[in-house]
This record gives sequence, C-alpha cells and structure tokens, in this order.
Amino acid sequence: MGASVSGSGGVRGGAVSSDVVSLRRGVYHDSVTLMRVSRQLSGLPGVDVAIVAMATELNLALARDLGFALPEAEPGDLLVALRGQEAGAAVAELDDHLTRLSRSTGEAAEQPPLTTRSAARRPADLVLVSVPGEHAFCEAMDAIQAGLPVMIFSDGVPVAQEVLLKTLADERDVLVMGPDCGTAVIAGAGLGFANVLRPGPVGVVAASGTGAQQVTSLLDLAGTGVSHVLGVGGRDLSAEVGGRSTVRALRMLDDDPATALIVLVSKPPAPEVARHVREVVETLRTPVVSAFVGEKDLTEAAEEALRTLGRSVPAWPAWPGWSGKKAGGRLRGVYSGGTLCSEAALIAGRGEFVDYGDDAYTRGRAHPMIDPTLRLEALAATEPGDVVLMDVVLGHGADPDPAASLAHAISRAPATVVVALVGTEGDPQDLHRQAAAFREAGATVFTSNAEAARHARSLL
Amino acid sequence: MTAPGRLLASAPRVITVGAGLLQEALDAQAVETVPVAWRPPLPGTGEALAAVLADPRREQANALAVSRLTSALPQLVGVRRASDVLDLPGRTFLHAGPPIEWERASGPLRGALVGAMLLEGYADDEQDAEARLASGRVRLEPCHHHATVGPMAGVVSPSMWMFEVRDAEHGGTAYCSLNEGLGKVLRYGAYGPEVIDRLRWMDQVLGPALSAALALTGPIDLRALIAQALQMGDELHNRNRAATSLLLRELAPAVVDAAPGSASEVLRFVNGNDHFFLNAGMAAGKVSTDAARDVPGSSLVVAMARNGTDFGVQVSGLGGRWFTGPAGVPDGLYLGAYGPEDANPDIGDSTITETSGLGGFAMAAAPAIVRFVGGEVSDAMAATRSMYEITLAEHPAYQIPGLGFRGTPVGIDVTLVARTGLLPVVNTGIAGRVAGTGQVGAGLVNPPAEAFTSALLALADSAAQPL
Amino acid sequence: MTVGTHVRRARTRVTGAASAATRPVLESQRRPARVLAAFPAGVYLEVRTDLEPSVLAVITGEATRLPNSVLLSTGLPRVTVGDEALVGDGTVELGPLSLRARRWWDPAPPLGEVARARLAASLDHLELLTAEAEPRTAPQRRESFPGSGPDPHREKPPESGCQREGGAWQVPGLVGNSVVEALAESCAKGWLLGAVSAAEQLVGLGPGLTPSGDDVLAGLLVTLRQLGRAAGTGRAVWLADWLAAAVTYDARTRTTAISATLLHCAARGEASPEVIAVLRGLTGGQALEPALRRLHRLGHTSGADLAQGIAIGLSAVLALGGPR
Repeated sequence: MGASVSGSGGVRGGAVSSDVVSLRRGVYHDSVTLMRVSRQLSGLPGVDVAIVAMATELNLALARDLGFALPEAEPGDLLVALRGQEAGAAVAELDDHLTRLSRSTGEAAEQPPLTTRSAARRPADLVLVSVPGEHAFCEAMDAIQAGLPVMIFSDGVPVAQEVLLKTLADERDVLVMGPDCGTAVIAGAGLGFANVLRPGPVGVVAASGTGAQQVTSLLDLAGTGVSHVLGVGGRDLSAEVGGRSTVRALRMLDDDPATALIVLVSKPPAPEVARHVREVVETLRTPVVSAFVGEKDLTEAAEEALRTLGRSVPAWPAWPGWSGKKAGGRLRGVYSGGTLCSEAALIAGRGEFVDYGDDAYTRGRAHPMIDPTLRLEALAATEPGDVVLMDVVLGHGADPDPAASLAHAISRAPATVVVALVGTEGDPQDLHRQAAAFREAGATVFTSNAEAARHARSLL
Repeated sequence: MTAPGRLLASAPRVITVGAGLLQEALDAQAVETVPVAWRPPLPGTGEALAAVLADPRREQANALAVSRLTSALPQLVGVRRASDVLDLPGRTFLHAGPPIEWERASGPLRGALVGAMLLEGYADDEQDAEARLASGRVRLEPCHHHATVGPMAGVVSPSMWMFEVRDAEHGGTAYCSLNEGLGKVLRYGAYGPEVIDRLRWMDQVLGPALSAALALTGPIDLRALIAQALQMGDELHNRNRAATSLLLRELAPAVVDAAPGSASEVLRFVNGNDHFFLNAGMAAGKVSTDAARDVPGSSLVVAMARNGTDFGVQVSGLGGRWFTGPAGVPDGLYLGAYGPEDANPDIGDSTITETSGLGGFAMAAAPAIVRFVGGEVSDAMAATRSMYEITLAEHPAYQIPGLGFRGTPVGIDVTLVARTGLLPVVNTGIAGRVAGTGQVGAGLVNPPAEAFTSALLALADSAAQPL
Repeated sequence: MTVGTHVRRARTRVTGAASAATRPVLESQRRPARVLAAFPAGVYLEVRTDLEPSVLAVITGEATRLPNSVLLSTGLPRVTVGDEALVGDGTVELGPLSLRARRWWDPAPPLGEVARARLAASLDHLELLTAEAEPRTAPQRRESFPGSGPDPHREKPPESGCQREGGAWQVPGLVGNSVVEALAESCAKGWLLGAVSAAEQLVGLGPGLTPSGDDVLAGLLVTLRQLGRAAGTGRAVWLADWLAAAVTYDARTRTTAISATLLHCAARGEASPEVIAVLRGLTGGQALEPALRRLHRLGHTSGADLAQGIAIGLSAVLALGGPR
C-alpha cells in the first residue's frame, strides 16, 4: 500500500483547521461502507469535513468543490480528505476502521471468489448484485449464464442493458429482479431494504421497493404474513422493458403453493404494458390485487388483500403526538421513499414534496434510509406554521436507529411533523420504540402513509 | 421442480457481490452467503467489458474455443530440420514474441540473431553480423506466424532441428527447436564459439539421431506424458525434470537402435539437461492453443509471447492481431554474482505453457521449485488457485494431486483479466541484458495489463452490438 | 422477574433466524429455561411455559432445522446440561449470548393442491424405493441420551454414514413391529379407536432422545394433515386432529421432553425441511428420491422412522379419499 500525505492550512494542534489529504493504492471498499466510515469520522470532535471515497471523477470533483487540493489519482485509489483541528488524529481512527473492514472481508474464505462467475461454482440459489451501476451488468450476466436468478440492487444501469439481461433471462428461464430493485423477500429472507415479515399467504410483485415495504408491513401488523416479495425494478413496466420480469414473477408466485394471493405494486404502467400484464393476470389461478399508485393507495391495497383472504381489516396503529406548534402554513414532504412520496403528494393534493432517495440527491452520498443528513437539514430549514410530512422506513439495511438523529431534529424543527413509520414489530429497529421516540419529539406517527398524508392535509 | 420454482422453495443461499451493508443484513438473518471479493475492473475497461459480455456470440464461442484447447491431443511425431519444414525464404530468421525489428531488439535477441548469422555462415564475424542485421537484409518474423514457438530469444534458422508435434484430434502441427541446455546458450543470447560448436553438433548428430529414433518409436503421446509429469512434480515451464526423464525413457532404446554410433553422446546430452522436454512441451502447447484460434466472438487468449521488448497476446476472436505492452523484468533468483541490474526484460514464447494451463498456472503441482521463484508451498497453491479466477475451464487431463486432482486452470479470458485485475502468473528464465551473456536467473514475471486491456478494447470494437 | 441466583451480566447481542412455530414462546413474557442437552451443533432448552414448543433447539448452520429451532448466525456458546437461560420478550438469553430473530421461516409450508392419481403413483414409487432396503432384522440402536451420545437430529457425518448417494437405505427402528402394523391398518380403514390405541402404545417407544415410536407418529401426523389438506381428503385431516389430540395429551409424561415438543409440532403439521421435501416429492413439487435419501441421513434411525410414518400417512390419505 503506497500512501502520500500532504498537509496544508494552519498550525497543527492549535485552534486552526488543517487539511489532510492522502491517496491509498490497491485498497477497495464499496461506497456505502466508505460513506458510513466518512460519517463516523465527521462525527469526531475536531473534524469538520471527512471524505473517504474511491477516487472516481465524481468524488474528486466533490472534494475539489470543498476546497481540497488533490494530487493525481486513479479511480482505483482510495481518497482520504479530512479537514479540522484534529484532522491528523482522525487519520488514526480511519486506519482502525479500514483495518477492521479489510479483516472482515479477508476472513470470509481462504481465497474468496472475485467474480460472480467464479462464485457460482459453489452451491447457491440467487445472486445479489450491488456493485456500482456501471459494473452491475457483468455480474448479472454471470448469474444468468450460470442459470441463477439475480437481484440487481444497483441503480444507474442503462436501460438497454436491462432489456438485454431480461431477454437473456427469458431464454434461460431465470428471474431478473431490478436493476434498481431495493427490496425482495424470498421465503422470509430479506434482501436489500426489507422488513422482518412473518411467513404467510400473500406474495408481492413490486416495481417499487418502498411501496412493497408499506404493503407488507401493514399486512404483518394485521397478523397476515407474506410468502415472497419479488422486486422487478422501477423500469420493468416501462414500454421499453415491457414488464418482462413482472410477468415472470407473477407466474412464479402463481405456481408457488405458499402463495394464495398476489399483490402487484407499481406506478401506473405504460398503457400497452398494462394491457399485457392484465392479460397475463387473467390466466392466473391465484387472485391478484393490483396497487398502481395513483389509482389506488398502498393502504387500500393492503386492506383489499386482507378482505380477499376473508380476514378483517384492523385500525392501523397510530400514535398521536402533541407539539404545541401552530400549523397552517406550507406542507412539505420530506421523503426517502419515491413511491411513498408520490402517494403522499397525490393524497395531500398540495405542498412541496421532495424525494431525497432520488438519484439527484444520492449521487456521492448514501441513501437517506441510511444517511439522514439531508433530511436533518430540511427539517431545520422549515418555518413556524409549516407542516412536515416524512417517512421513516425500518427493516434490514436501513438506519439501525433512525429516531436517534431524526427525533431530536423533529423536536427542534419549527414545523409540525407527521411521520409515516413503515415497519413491523419484528424489525431490528423495534417499531414501538421508534414510534415512542418520534411521538415524544412531538410528531404524530402513522403506520399507514396514506393516513399520515390525510392527517397532514387536515392540519392545514 | 422448475428452475424458477426452486428459488421459492426455501430461504436461498445467496452470492453477494457489492455493498457490505447488504451482506451484513443477510448474515444477521443467518442466511447462507457466498461473498464475492469484488474490485472495480482495470481502469478504462468498463464500457468495453459490457460490450464484450453482451456479444451474443461470446458464450458459445468461448465454450467452443476452450473445448478445442483442452481436447487437443498433441503427439510428438518427428524431429526435422527447419530448412525442410519451415517456410524460411531467403535470409529469414524466426524469433520469439510479437513482431520486432533490429533497432528495438533487446540484448539477448540481438545476441541470438548474431549467433544464428554465424551459425548459418551469413556473416564472417560479430561486427559483420550486426551490420548486416542492422541493414535490414535479414527478414525477422515471429515464430508464432510459422506454427512455431521458441524459448527465450526463440531464434530459429534453417540449420536448426525442430520437434514436430501433431494434434491428433484437430489435425494441426506445430514446431519448436531442440533445447541446447543451460548456461551459455543461443536462446539466452550467447554466441561464443562453444555455442556455435554445440549448435553445429546438434545439426549434424543430435537432430538426425532423434529423427531416426522417432521414426522407430512412432508418435509419442505428449498429453499423457505431460499429465504424468504434473503428478511427478513438474509444472512444465521452470521444472521439466520428470517430463525429460519420461521422454528419455521412451526414446533411449530407439536412439540406440537408430544411431548406435552416436547413441551414448546423444543420450548423455539429453540426460544432462533437465529442460530438454520444455521445447517439446511448448510445441504441444502451441498446437493445442492453435486449435482454439479464430473462433469469432471468443475472448480466449491463444498466445502470450515476449520478444525481450514487448509482451504480446493474441485472442481467438481477433485473428492474428497482436496486443502488446512493455515486457517487465522478472522477479526471481539470480545465478552467481548476477543481480536484477543484469536482467533483460521478459523474453520468449515459453509463456505458451501458461496459455495452455501449465507453467505458472500449474505451480501447485511443483512444490519443489517454489523457493526458486521466491516463495513457500502455500504461495504455489495460491498462485494456481487464483488462476481459476481468470480461466474458462479446468483441464480434463492435466491434474494437480495437491488440489485433489483438480484440473489445471486453462483458457485465459481477457474479460476476466480486466474484471479481476489478476494477471496471468508466468514462470520464466531470466536472460542477461547484454548480448552474449546468457542466462542470469529464473523467476516470476508480471505481464503488462495493457496487453490484455487493449485486446479487450479491440474485442469490444468487433463485438456484435445488441446494446 | 427474578430468576433464582442467576447473575445478570452484559450479554453479546447476536441475531439469527427462527421457525415461526417458536414465535409465540419467544414473544411472550420472559420465562426461565434450562439446558436439557448440548451438542456441537445444537443446544436444547426447556422453557417453563405451557406454550408449545416448550423445548427450543438453538442450532448452528450444520444442524437440521427442526420445527422448534432458532438458528444462530454465529457459533454456539459453551454451555452444559442444567445451565439456566431465559426465553421471552423477543430474545433467548443463553450463556453469554442474547439472541433475537431477524428472519422467520415457515415450518409448515403449504404444499398446494395435488391430484390423488399423483399421490397414488408416488406411493408406488415410495414402496419401490423402500423395498430396496428390505430389512432382515431390526437394527441395533446406539444410545443417544442427552449428553451421552450424538445429536439424533444432526445429519450424520460422512464417515459414519453408509447411506451416501446410491448407497443402502437406513432401516427403521420398529420395522416389523406389530403395533406399527396395527396403526397403519387402522389409519387406512379410518378406524379411529384402533389408530388411537396403537398410537398411544407407540409414544415413547424405543431408546434415545427421539424414540422411534415418536418419529413414526410425527411422520404420520404431518403427512395426514399436510397431504390430507393438499389432496382435499377431509377424513385424513379429521384423523390427524384426533390422533394429534391423543398423542399430545400426555406426551410430556410419556416420552422425552424434546420428543414431546416435536410431537406437538407434528400435530400442527410442522416439520423439518427434510420431511417437507419428501412431502413435496410425493406431490411432484420436487424429485422424490434425493429428498428421501436426505431424510434417511438424519440421526441413527430418525430419518427412516419419519419416512415410515410418512408412508403410513400417504397410504391412509389415499385409502380415506375413496377407492383408488
């Protein structure tokens, strides 16, 4: 490992901030891991800015924009740029973090496989791809050629590659979930962002990850379990992709003895694709509840599923909060889930809604379900009288304790806050503890996003 | 149960490639996983990789190419004079590696060319030879363009005798010169009187005797011989002791029968050179990799070769094109007082052994020489294991006892080299930098990544484009 | 709640997966438990509760996923028989570990609908396969009492097993036993009294942690309920209900605690994946022979005993559904 370190700025150890920039060669870590390390470092006393990232064009530009002087770098190098009075000391912390990371990957196997192709020589049933989008195609191709179904969590995969992968998958009779598939559950195993669900009769086909999380969480709260959630990727029902994975997933669930009812969650599909999907649905033996956001809200879909199964629909858990703040100004949607955001905007019918999980906000930083920074800033920027409607999504992969940062920001925010808390009682974050923390911070908490949106509207 | 239905039967075993966060979430659920230690591909190859992997011909083409490579049945069928079997019009010499001209030739190649001039009587002395070579009046062509391979400098001139190896499966033929021994030898760029005298003796005595002996033995099955030698501790590039012994056992009675007058000196010569088999093995590698050539859409490497200046590769789907990068200086052990400063950059066609799944790729078979290339037995095991990451197949006949008789990794795929950043492990001899020096050591060398990435970019340009 | 002299100490939080059957016990109020048996791949915990399963199997990756299992994502703690533990409020506290489930699996996954003709063909296939293992005498069973022998539900290590692919089959512990034959006949005739009295004699019959008699009954109960439902044979499900009630009524006093819990699970149609796989094999959901071979590899005779119960159940489902 070669390292070059350059210091600039004021007196080290004094009250003056200094920059520490270094490059490390031959060290690779995935971006989410590095973002978590960056966040931990920037939380240290005496550290103002911490960038630990692979030296891609994008990350170099980010660092340059922040005023760091950077040496020549290649995308394979690890860039470390720290600023603050204690920036030098933080480097030692960083080394601890990185050693721990490389040890954990090094111990996994004597010689771990380097490609999906080589990993597929071992017994496996599914491939989960979350490498940067421009490299996801190769790994997904390996999976399909090995005859394995693949979930592509990565986003930013060109649509032409998606079409090619799905065409090939049809020839090989395997399922491609994604690209940009955030959520799947196979026989209880949560992949990506998914909730801890009890086993049960409802199968879900989802072109929207958070949409699927809302529906399945509500079902679980109603005591009804889920057989599988098969994500298909946000573009699957577009005219270009033609619903290839949706159709395959529907047929798989139809053949699955554990699935007694299918819920199809998506934004409204392209018209010709909708027609094709409808034709396929008519051939299935299993009843299908379609939840096309905009035509039917997700809570209604969950309720329809329960009724179709002959089960009763409960009152969805909600925790009224009292902030004492005056409401009546603007409505601001501060969301992390795209489908939840559009559903809420449609129901509220007014206000300004921002999906911080959108590509425009996640370039160079982790998803808001992991990194709350942008939403914390948005909360602080509200004005008295504003009503903030926000989602908090629990489950695997999500922030291990979202209330830890958000509840404090909610109590200090000038606005009245309504939280749509998407999760189950089995989730690692503990739904009830999260709800209590938000309520104590003054927010009103709903487990149904639609109900949260209606409540927010009623406050204006 | 249908393939898609199997997915839903129970919690899946998941291959994870990418974010550690998702792997951790699966670990927390006690889901069985196979984590991939993914790294970004070599710089500048991302788009080309997608284009080549999307090529609808690739999968079938690679399967065909590598099956031809591993199904080849090389047999030693003769020993013949180069003037009789190779097309060497006028004053033409063959040399190792991709094409090169005198001006760019390194010390050992120049030395070997000078030696060949003297051997063939094309020049009166060293200065005369160099002047004639520099004037361009001698044609230089790569061995690989003549179904031939040559170790180190790889210089072939008309009066040299060649192993003739035929592929009984696909019908190809390949040639390689006879091995002169170690130390001051032409292939390492030495051209002193003892070198020329030995080559004259090989022309007049060794070549004819072996030729006559092979006429008596009939074809010798090199595939079986190599398979046995691997189980006896050879990796067939830097260690050929077992293979040489096996070959000698086959040949000895026939040499005695065919050339009773010279038999003892011929057999003593072969016995005195642990690397005598190397050249026959190289011809076997060449005839096998040639069988895999010219499959449109295939990303399989069919040749890796160095001329002392450039390291070149050829790819099945790209015909006879060479893709080159600067040859590196090997890292290894040095003879006597020689050191790294005396070493010439990597040279020779002997990388045909690695190309066909032997040599560095079979290091795990040859624990006896791991020290020679600066390591421990575990390094040899790791070297071979890592090559499974960049190869398309495991050789059905060439097996490694220490890996549970797993077949050697064979069939380098340029896309896998670019994706993993792992370069082929190459074992090699080290030639002296200065013409006339000879061998100075042996060790391992890293091929230049750009040879593989430029081949990949060319494949991307020629790919059928569904994207 | 205070627990004897148990000293509270900081525990390492670990997570894993659990059979959904264990959820009521895990999520009820915290109760004391004690280690009943400890094996390299699993620890049996007896919980002071009226709920079933009252015995939990805390296991690692290599062990069979019994329907009362909680699967650790890490290694097992070192504990010995008699050690105290706590179960409830969502956690299992065992030795230095505090364990929570992050995934639930269904120990009784629905099999879907199946045609009787399909089951009839499967019975022929099953009989053909087991005829290969036609025994001459009942095998000698090795002891496997808690702490003194190997885990009965752990897959046999390759060196001790003679049932590798293509090898011989395991022989059931009660082969040729007249009570088992009476049970089979009574079930096929739908004669409840005969079936119940045979079943009562079989509870706890045989040595080991899960006596052969219990394994036969468990295989039978799961098959009657699951295949009965799949084939739409109401009388088979009815028989399963009555047999289950009879067998579980006093199981806790008639057999080992572990075996009693597994009978309770079987009564609800819950089983290990090896048993479910054979049932899927019978319905055509997957290949039968490899599934049967995997089942036969369980324990010393447990797999063969369960398979015997499955065969009795399958015959009964066919017989009770009307003429073939």
